[in-house]
Amino acid sequence: MSDQHQGHEPPTVGTYLRVALVLTVVTALEVGVIYVRRLAPIVVPLLLAMSAAKFALVALFFMHLRYESRVPTFLFVGPLVLASGLAVALMTLTGAFLVFGR
Amino acid sequence: MSAHPSDRLLHAPAAARASADTTSTVLSWLTTVDHKRIGILYGASAFAFFLLGGLEALVIRLQLAVPNNTLVSAHTFNELFTMHGTTMIFLAIMPFNAMFFNFMVPLLIGARDVAFPRLNALSYWIFLAGGLLLNASWLAGTPPDVGWFGYANLTSKHYTPGLGVDFWIFSLQILGVSSVIAAINFIVTILNMRAPGMTMMRMPLFVWMTLVVQFLIALAFPPITVGLIYLMFDRFFGTHFYDVAAGGDLHLWQHLFWIFGHPEVYILILPAFGIVSEVLPTFARKPLFGAPVVIYSGVLIGFFGFGVWSHHMFAAGMGPVADSAFSIATMLIAIPTGVKIFNWLATLWGGAVRPTSALHFAVGLVGLFTIGGLSGVMHASPPVDLQQTDSYFVVAHLHYVLIGGSLFGIFAGIYYWWPKMTGRLLGEGLGRLNFWLMFAGFNLAFFPQHYLGAIGMPRRIYTYRPDLGWNAGNLASTIGAFGIGLAVLVFMVNAWRSLRAGAPAPADPWDGRTLEWRTSSPPPPHDFDMIPPVYGRDSFWREKYGSRRVPIAGATQAGGHASIHLPAPSHWPWMAALGLLVAAVGGLTHVTLVVVGVLWTIWALVRFALEHHRTPEHADQTGGLGLDHRKMAMWLFLGSECFFFGTLIATFLAYKGRSVVGPAPHEIFNIPLTSLSTFDLLMSSLLMVLALAAVQRGDRRQARLWLFGTAFFGLIFLGFQAYEFTSFVHEGFTLQQNLFGSTFFLLTGLHGTHVAIGVFWLLSLWVLDLRGRLATVDAVKVEIAGLYWHFVDVVWIAIFTLVYLIP
Repeated sequence: MSDQHQGHEPPTVGTYLRVALVLTVVTALEVGVIYVRRLAPIVVPLLLAMSAAKFALVALFFMHLRYESRVPTFLFVGPLVLASGLAVALMTLTGAFLVFGR
Repeated sequence: MSAHPSDRLLHAPAAARASADTTSTVLSWLTTVDHKRIGILYGASAFAFFLLGGLEALVIRLQLAVPNNTLVSAHTFNELFTMHGTTMIFLAIMPFNAMFFNFMVPLLIGARDVAFPRLNALSYWIFLAGGLLLNASWLAGTPPDVGWFGYANLTSKHYTPGLGVDFWIFSLQILGVSSVIAAINFIVTILNMRAPGMTMMRMPLFVWMTLVVQFLIALAFPPITVGLIYLMFDRFFGTHFYDVAAGGDLHLWQHLFWIFGHPEVYILILPAFGIVSEVLPTFARKPLFGAPVVIYSGVLIGFFGFGVWSHHMFAAGMGPVADSAFSIATMLIAIPTGVKIFNWLATLWGGAVRPTSALHFAVGLVGLFTIGGLSGVMHASPPVDLQQTDSYFVVAHLHYVLIGGSLFGIFAGIYYWWPKMTGRLLGEGLGRLNFWLMFAGFNLAFFPQHYLGAIGMPRRIYTYRPDLGWNAGNLASTIGAFGIGLAVLVFMVNAWRSLRAGAPAPADPWDGRTLEWRTSSPPPPHDFDMIPPVYGRDSFWREKYGSRRVPIAGATQAGGHASIHLPAPSHWPWMAALGLLVAAVGGLTHVTLVVVGVLWTIWALVRFALEHHRTPEHADQTGGLGLDHRKMAMWLFLGSECFFFGTLIATFLAYKGRSVVGPAPHEIFNIPLTSLSTFDLLMSSLLMVLALAAVQRGDRRQARLWLFGTAFFGLIFLGFQAYEFTSFVHEGFTLQQNLFGSTFFLLTGLHGTHVAIGVFWLLSLWVLDLRGRLATVDAVKVEIAGLYWHFVDVVWIAIFTLVYLIP
């Protein structure tokens, strides 16, 4: 039989629907904040945080990382972190962070 | 009185031989999925390419033997060093290592094959396709001539209009696909298929180094893949990734190449380190000194190898902060390497040393790699490197680490494992002659190059004046190169004599320490009659001589049945590889062939995927870590894809605001429309999890509904994207318009391609379900499709924010 889910009860349809609702709301908020001038100074970190939250929700609940052993988390999150670090390094070396100040 | 444990002969149950293919016809080799045969295929191919690369080297050295030589023209010389470097790295050293990965890793961990035998065969045939394509450039009269590193913008259509660079691009892309597929296969094999009782820290060192190397391959190849895609698009479709006039940055190519290129050198050397870590303990009759530390140092080398790439760019003008950071990181990485050297020396110290040929090569590696490492640490200092870079000093360094390191390690492995692979012994006399000729020839060839570089001889020059003081050094170097050639001839004689009439090899000719010596030489098709017992690290040694009478885990019969399931031969691997080759040839000739090749490849891969859809033995593939092989493979693939899309997104952000002409993002994007498509893709993920839940509980009606729904929502997303692209083009914003156009269309286009592949996959599952061929037992197949789909979704989450929303 397929591998066992460890640590948490398997997700229910209700869980999936709630996650989908949160994803929809956060997406709407993401689009909304770019039109709010008062938030302009913090719009970049705000957008990054919301995007990261959506990413995490899909990974944890839809991709079942929350319900799996640590092996898939290690195999996916390790490269994700390393790739993100390399991307930031590449952007730094090519002067990309000037963009956010323009 | 019991016989010596190493004298045990192992007999296969009759049923195990029933499905094994032991014939030697061309067809049997073409369709083999046996890891041992695939290993031999890699080895034979690698040796052929090694001879070709060696021939190229000898012509280079003949041209440089005397000043003002006219043996070859400057243009031909450029082709020779380009092909020599590319061939030796990608077609010789890497597949030699693959020979050992394939043949030995399952044996070392007590498994009967790799996790995905047909995928293993696919990797080999794709590798062969790439190697043949690259060398077909010689036959076409237009081999690449831009160096193995292909710096932009020398590689642009403007400066190098011929087909040589295009051969190089397509060959490397094909070779990359082969390597990444194999990497995923070996990681799953090592993590999930170890014999009971073989914990990670009880694994042989060669397996550990293999594991690190496979992670390096899976993660380092995507950046070069992206870099090559950019180059291909610049050359074929007029994009501007490496177009300075349009705002592009030539450093981008260098960064992408070396982000791959530096882990690549560890990909080349770590297997040799693993071989030495097996050979030295065996012939010193002592356990590896500080084995856990040697393991940790290998892991650290692999990890830190991702943080030093710009030490290849100290002369590129990155600035003092970047230079300093990479200099420090490069010096730090010498520490774990030094740890290994000292541990190897300590292993030999006080041991009952048997000076076999294998040991000669292993000890040779320790000395020669130390020399190469010392010159490497010198390069780590930017001011020193500014003199050494692009001089023969670097040529000396890289050959000391790659020949003195990788090649000597490979020969150590060949002499060590030849009896196991062939069932014959190599001659020890010829073996030592082979070693001493190679050792002397190599040092004569490359040691003088340190001096030549120090007194100013640049790399890649095809001739030189006689009054520069370089004459004697070059002549000596050429003589030494022919010495290496003679050494290789001696090896070929040794190998030929062994295969024809060599003394039969017993199961354990060296009184070995690890599990491969526990089975016959060569092993039977099923490797082991019983999955071997594990007594700890150096398990076989402990079994023979240890005080422990009871193993940590006893011998087991996988499946608990008298018969052993062996994977059946298959045509689809070579068929799929052939389709890829046809598509690549089409890229060089005519687009019709591209279409034919792509369709052929898709057809072959679909047949490949469905070949064992109903084979009962393939239903449950749960491994030692409790995770299905296929799920683990998909997670690994997604990790690799993180690097792929990470590189694409980083390039988009790095190039943001650098376009010389408009339009700019805020002038062209339709945020409300893209928000709708984002919502659509997010909801498709919801439908996907509902589909999986339905398949898992056996609700066929809902499974069909949600599977189709997911694919349908994917098609809607693609429709949105098609509308967006066409409206942009209508407004004059194209792939070629500016830097923004190049990065935007490529990033979102490649993402859209991923969505399209996902839609095709999901519709295939839906059709299977309609035909009643998707049962609860197939839930894992839907699950891995779901993982892919959700990943495509999260990538879009990142793209939507970073590309569309961030001002």
